[in-house]
Amino acid sequence: MEAGSVARSRLRLGAWRLWALVPLLLLVGVVTLFAASGTSLFDLVGRSPPPLDQFNIRRVEFRPGEVGIRVTNPQRQKLTIASVTVDDAIVPFRLDGPATLGRLRSSTIVVPFHWVEGDPYSVGVTSSSGIESTFEVPAAIETRGASPRGFLGYAVIGFLVGIVPVALGLGWLPSLRRAGARWIAAFMALTAGLLSFLALDALAEALDLQARLPSSFQGPGLILLGVSASYLGLTFVAQRFSAAGQGERSAPLEGAALATLIAVGIGLHNLGEGLAIGSSIALGELALGTFLIVGFMVHNITEGLGIAAPIAGGARIGLRRLLVLALVAGAPAIAGAWIGGFVTSDLLGVLFFALAVGAALQVVVEVGRYVARRAPGGLRSGHVIVGYLAGIIVMYGTGLLVG
Amino acid sequence: MPKSTRRQVLLAAAPVVAAAPLAKLALARATEAAPRPAHAGMAMDATKHAAMIGREVPAPGRRGDLAALLYPPKSLRHKPGRVREYTLAAIDRQIEVAKGVFFSAWTYNGTVPGPVIRATEDDLLRVNFTNAGSHPHTIHFHGIHPANMDGVFEVVEPGASFTYEFPARPYGMHLYHCHSTPLKKHIAKGLYGAFIIDPPTPRPPAQELVMVLTGFDTDGDGANNFYGVNGPAFYYAKHPIRVRRSQTVRIYLANLTEFDLLNSLHLHGDFFRYYPTGSSNHFEYTDTVMLCQGQRGIIEIDFAHSGRFMFHAHQSEFTELGWMGFFEVID
Repeated sequence: MEAGSVARSRLRLGAWRLWALVPLLLLVGVVTLFAASGTSLFDLVGRSPPPLDQFNIRRVEFRPGEVGIRVTNPQRQKLTIASVTVDDAIVPFRLDGPATLGRLRSSTIVVPFHWVEGDPYSVGVTSSSGIESTFEVPAAIETRGASPRGFLGYAVIGFLVGIVPVALGLGWLPSLRRAGARWIAAFMALTAGLLSFLALDALAEALDLQARLPSSFQGPGLILLGVSASYLGLTFVAQRFSAAGQGERSAPLEGAALATLIAVGIGLHNLGEGLAIGSSIALGELALGTFLIVGFMVHNITEGLGIAAPIAGGARIGLRRLLVLALVAGAPAIAGAWIGGFVTSDLLGVLFFALAVGAALQVVVEVGRYVARRAPGGLRSGHVIVGYLAGIIVMYGTGLLVG
Repeated sequence: MPKSTRRQVLLAAAPVVAAAPLAKLALARATEAAPRPAHAGMAMDATKHAAMIGREVPAPGRRGDLAALLYPPKSLRHKPGRVREYTLAAIDRQIEVAKGVFFSAWTYNGTVPGPVIRATEDDLLRVNFTNAGSHPHTIHFHGIHPANMDGVFEVVEPGASFTYEFPARPYGMHLYHCHSTPLKKHIAKGLYGAFIIDPPTPRPPAQELVMVLTGFDTDGDGANNFYGVNGPAFYYAKHPIRVRRSQTVRIYLANLTEFDLLNSLHLHGDFFRYYPTGSSNHFEYTDTVMLCQGQRGIIEIDFAHSGRFMFHAHQSEFTELGWMGFFEVID
């Protein structure tokens, strides 16, 4: 008897899933009917405008004796590559890929060309309907393929701008340990300030990049997805941490757990930052100088301070644990530089920066809860307010070095 | 044939009269957009003009496609009052202006430039014009004629006809074009052609050619994307013009490019006599002439050497956007 009723309720449980299919089936029917009517319905209200016939020129690479142009068809209608110009001169070309591109399909145009190192170039691709899409290259520099040397180079850059400054910033830990509770709170607020700065910075980058994407990729939606995924993901992790620590689920994180969360947030930001640096170098948009690397190091040392602050307020942790935190926060810069240097995908860029926004925001919230509960005077104390503003000012000031 | 590109051709609406001139066209050039696989020597050619000759020339069309535009009708001896009759129809048509690139043109008889109109001075020129296009058009001839034959006030609506009739004078190299407003649009779209009036005393025999300088703004941004002679970019680079060294080469030259202030012609390896407007015996001995829109003249070359000689606009930009060709001078 008992088993029978269980089976019946299982059946009912399965039945709601079946019923859920009904609207979908109806939709299929309506869509089929509508599609069968052709465009006659639209003729009642007007005519569709002609397609833009613009290519999305994603990347222009310079290799000895040739220029490579990566193009994508961003529109629904097919698009045919018919003519190619470099600096307003028609040039012979060959194609690695089809000449006629379906929606979101790509091809690489290879142009035999003796380019001049460091000169700006304008590249144009004309469709069979005569519409020209252009791409400006600020300065031609040779694009290096994925080689062990390049791999090492980007790794060193990522190491210098990611791991080194974070590790150095953790060096403030002994000093912070000797500071009073007010000062710890101030530094926590400073962490929140600099993370807020990073969140807005990453959001601006993401919005900037998404504007370059074909509209069918829905950049803003992608950003929302990235921000939500990382924010909620980290919220989930944070709750696990606090549950493991105290058994009280809603308790604010502190100590090493909070530091880990901050490190993850900063790490995601550095992934985006590494990607931006890597692709800028690869595309010749960034003057690769000592000054720039030094600038990023100064800029990022504050990130180490941000990780150190909650540790100072909590239990002691070992050197190995600190090293792991530095790696979590800094190493993504290396991965980012590799991806940016060798792949250069605006899509990945948007996604990475969006993830960084969500992570940074979540950590700001987490730090805020910590400060509200633990700091003398709570969120409204002078130390906290000044600390928060100082965090923004520090990021802004050091940012001038890399801007 | 034209595919479903962004601007649909409205040929269906064209009256039957369009059929006659259209039928004369070497119609139905298949659009072989298929890319050719690269060959090994290509990279080596990149810096030379050789990149624009041979197999790599991105020019549409087969040899002989433009013969009707390059070689004018025969000149006739002076006979005042003789009627010279031409039939022109304005037709909306997609033309291939560079290899694989299609332009929704407005044409006289289906080509840009339109057909060469030729008469001898004092002939009675009669041009039966039908507007088979989708916009109001006219034909405005350069030369001396009554005000009501000027193609400015007598706008010919789609489907309507008009007959232009006047004595051909003065002798020289002239041109005709649509004078409907917006003027810039009607010329940029392709409504123009060469108009030759021969002098009462015939010019000495020569190998006669017509060159109308053209430009095409395929993306509508008010700047030309392609340039050429008698239409398609690089056509005479792909199909050099064969001439004999033993006889004078006479070129009836006119500039109809829109948007650019100037166009020019420069000949390699030789000099020529240039008669501005071809209306007198005064000439300049040079290798480069400069023309604003509507300016024209006659060039006479006595080639000193046989071989392949380039001619092109001496605006390098135009050259590299299609206005370049070759003479193949044979003994």
